[in-house]
Amino acid sequence: MSFTSPAFHIDRISVVGEEAEFVKMFDPRPVGAGPALPERIDVTTLPIQLGANPRANPVPEVMQALGLGIPGRPHTRDMDLLNGLALPTWDGAKILNFMTIRDKDFGLGGTYPGPIIRIPRGVIVHADLSGKGPPPHTIHWHGLEPTPINDGVGHCSMEIGSYTYQFQPNFIGSYFYHCHRNTVQHFEFGLFSLLLIEPPDAYFASIGAINPDGTVTLNSIPVGACLDGRFRTAANLLTLPASIQAKFPGFIAGDPVFGVAGPNDVGVGHPHAFTVPYDVEVLWVPDDRDSRWSDLASDAFATFPVHGLTPGADDDFQANPAIQNFFAFNDYRADYWFITGLPVPTPPGGTGTIPPGIVIPPGGNSGRSGSQVSVNARVGQTIFLRCLDAAYNNIRVTLPVDAVITAWDGRALGVPPFNRYNHAYVAPANTPMTFSVARRFDALIKAETTMNTFAKVEFMDTRGNAVTATALIPFQISP
Amino acid sequence: MKEVSRRKFMKYSLGSMAALAVGSGLDWIKNEAIAAPRVNTLNFHITDAIKDMGTHNSINTAQCYFWVYKEDRLPAESPGPTIFATEGDVIRINITNDLDEPHAFFIPGMFNSGPIAPGQTVRKFFTAKNAGPHLYFDNLNQPVNRAMGLHGAIIVHPKAPAPGHKFTPYGKPTPAVQQLFDDFGSTAWWPGLAWEQGDPATNTPPFRRHIWLFHQASPTLFAAVGNFTPGLDFPSGQFVQRFLHDDFSPTNNENIQGEVGSDIPRYFTISGQSGHFSHNTPYINPTFRVGEPAVVHILNAGLMTISMHVHANHFFVTYFNGVVQENPIWVDVFNVYPMAIIDYTLPYMRPPDVPNVRGIGRADAGLPAGVSGGTTWPPNEEIRTFMPGPAPAGVTPFQIVGNLTDGAGNSLGVQLSPLCYPAHDHSEPTQTSQGGNYNMGLIAGMNFIGDRNTPGAMNFPNQPLIHGPGPGSPFGVDGLIFPTAVQPPWFQEG
Repeated sequence: MSFTSPAFHIDRISVVGEEAEFVKMFDPRPVGAGPALPERIDVTTLPIQLGANPRANPVPEVMQALGLGIPGRPHTRDMDLLNGLALPTWDGAKILNFMTIRDKDFGLGGTYPGPIIRIPRGVIVHADLSGKGPPPHTIHWHGLEPTPINDGVGHCSMEIGSYTYQFQPNFIGSYFYHCHRNTVQHFEFGLFSLLLIEPPDAYFASIGAINPDGTVTLNSIPVGACLDGRFRTAANLLTLPASIQAKFPGFIAGDPVFGVAGPNDVGVGHPHAFTVPYDVEVLWVPDDRDSRWSDLASDAFATFPVHGLTPGADDDFQANPAIQNFFAFNDYRADYWFITGLPVPTPPGGTGTIPPGIVIPPGGNSGRSGSQVSVNARVGQTIFLRCLDAAYNNIRVTLPVDAVITAWDGRALGVPPFNRYNHAYVAPANTPMTFSVARRFDALIKAETTMNTFAKVEFMDTRGNAVTATALIPFQISP
Repeated sequence: MKEVSRRKFMKYSLGSMAALAVGSGLDWIKNEAIAAPRVNTLNFHITDAIKDMGTHNSINTAQCYFWVYKEDRLPAESPGPTIFATEGDVIRINITNDLDEPHAFFIPGMFNSGPIAPGQTVRKFFTAKNAGPHLYFDNLNQPVNRAMGLHGAIIVHPKAPAPGHKFTPYGKPTPAVQQLFDDFGSTAWWPGLAWEQGDPATNTPPFRRHIWLFHQASPTLFAAVGNFTPGLDFPSGQFVQRFLHDDFSPTNNENIQGEVGSDIPRYFTISGQSGHFSHNTPYINPTFRVGEPAVVHILNAGLMTISMHVHANHFFVTYFNGVVQENPIWVDVFNVYPMAIIDYTLPYMRPPDVPNVRGIGRADAGLPAGVSGGTTWPPNEEIRTFMPGPAPAGVTPFQIVGNLTDGAGNSLGVQLSPLCYPAHDHSEPTQTSQGGNYNMGLIAGMNFIGDRNTPGAMNFPNQPLIHGPGPGSPFGVDGLIFPTAVQPPWFQEG
């Protein structure tokens, strides 16, 4: 027995009778414009009114009122991908090729990461997406769960061309969106950003009046805050010790059995049911890049196979090589690292610190002001931290303070009726949390004493678990 | 079309998707959920094979050498067959080592054959215990023998649920996990069936389980092991170094079996399959209706961390490395470290972000929508659509985009029914084959073939007739393997 004289031969399974499904896995083939949206709801005629059901997405009009742009279609986000972007590395040694998403109505060109999309829970969302440059693409709304054609996975439905995605976010929390075409390359090269589902009255709360022409006039409530003027997110603190609950005043409970529904599961409960207010929002998106891929496979078509005349027998799996006959998307070796688009200035194996005082501008943040990357809060404030692992590595996050983990992956822990299965919990200070690609946690942190320190994000190779780089994020609490 | 005909049934019954049931056979095994042939004794040979991988065809060589646990009555395959047993069953096992160096068969906490010399046969028995999923593997020269393909899954079912409660997959569930399984099918937020409950009228099996057994294969390194000096163990440190950290090569698509390209893995499999072959089979891809909760047992026999993401439903992490979870989080992706064993429990709720009346993630009706006067759920316009080509003659599609045909002019359009969602590693380098060819790697899915809770829409078009890990080999039939000699009730001629 040996390699040269094996005892058995294992055949590949035949695709006869399933040629279409087989081909669609690797060659979904959009042609021209995308399809019409099935089960289309005409959002242009829906009210942007909190009590209405269904109701339209008010965010584009609120962003317009902030002077950030004009929506091409009422209540609709309009984006295109991909837009090339070349950025020098922190050490000046390389130019990294990025593929980016452009927010056509509200953006200033492609950014890395793309525009942060925020949506209040329960509205009907329409997002017009069109491919630009080498098609095809899709957008997958990771963690949101609509019908397959709106889920944005080519082989399961179709690729764009152009298409209007439709869904209605039902759970408050932290998600992200990314291109699901040749994901191994397009996600890595930057076609993604955060997708954050807010309490149902966010954005609506900031509308003082709806004008006859469909535009809105804002009131004094900060954009993104709720009717009580506070920023809120989903949580259930009731299962935590009283001493922890006391640190986060303003928590509002709801129906103990049915949660965000009304009593006896009738209607919808208070818009703030099972939400907690916070003062400072922090967004961490640890990411990494392999500059070899950027150098050798910047072509968005790299390694796309082409189906043959007899699918299953003569498909060309060596088609479309990038320059230098690149076929190494199985081999990822990060050598540059980022936190929410900020370079981590370190060579492989080292430690780099991102600058203090970094705040995300409202144009790339659905009109929201003040969201931080490096932490800068005052004693007494509540910090709300969202963290997405967008690297192709595991990450190990170590916080210098106790944190209440309120959610993973857009599902707030312990919110009825699902409190029967899980609950929020405390992650003690200086206790590393390790998790893998695409996972998100939400955490509440009470700033109790002055601090001038760092949080730590270590990137750990999925092949072997070695720490490939360490990022330090300033964590400053002032009096 | 996604219908699974008898021909397809025969095909998918082969090899890695094969299953064997052993022991006393309580009702859960007699039932159609795990319609594996029942055996009294497992007869394994430890041997080797060359396997044609997912991108292998007449113009592209994509092969890999493996060591395999071959059960006498099943074809050679890596991984070995899934073994289903009930807690307390006594399992007889005979193992012959046909290879050149010592090998073993090991189940942590349950069974250890000890080293089996080349040419030797050992005859042993063990008792199935610790209800839940387990990995069997060769624990000699770790991790080489396991990584070369000598591994498989063994699923132990509990004898009985706790008094007054419903079945879970575990002997000693935590209160939270017991509550979850008690609530399936009996609460307002999860209407439908309990996990332990089937429905013969819809061919729905009880105890719905799938196995996703992950592996990573390096054709060049595995060939080097196969070519190593007979009788000597390949140095494990060198194996791990080359498997995880061999030098970068920009061209890993070469037709292999030599020192070409890098020795890091080029094939990433679920239960031995990848791409279309793992995504479009109901033996790997859970294929049920809204209201039919299912458990996916995830095992990682490889050396890389997998971050497995499921579209369409968040899942509860009910089991992690031998521990039923006290606080089962509800997530859409989770880390699967090397040798990890994790259960994803899928509620099979309607994908919650389909527009619906209250918009709070409950089993509400859809909203009026579309040109047909229907509602957003069930999505009748969407499931009438063919992509990317036209519908077959006589079927009126809602929308045609482009026209894709094979060489004979046959349409390659696929109807968007059943509702098809992927489940894949979000550490995306595994979504490849031979260094590229996106979507031919580690991908499974989650399909919806209907909705138990929508009047008049129980079934979507093209639903397959097969729902589970499968009835094992269709050949080699004898009284021992198929003691009932009766087709499972859901099996129909296609």
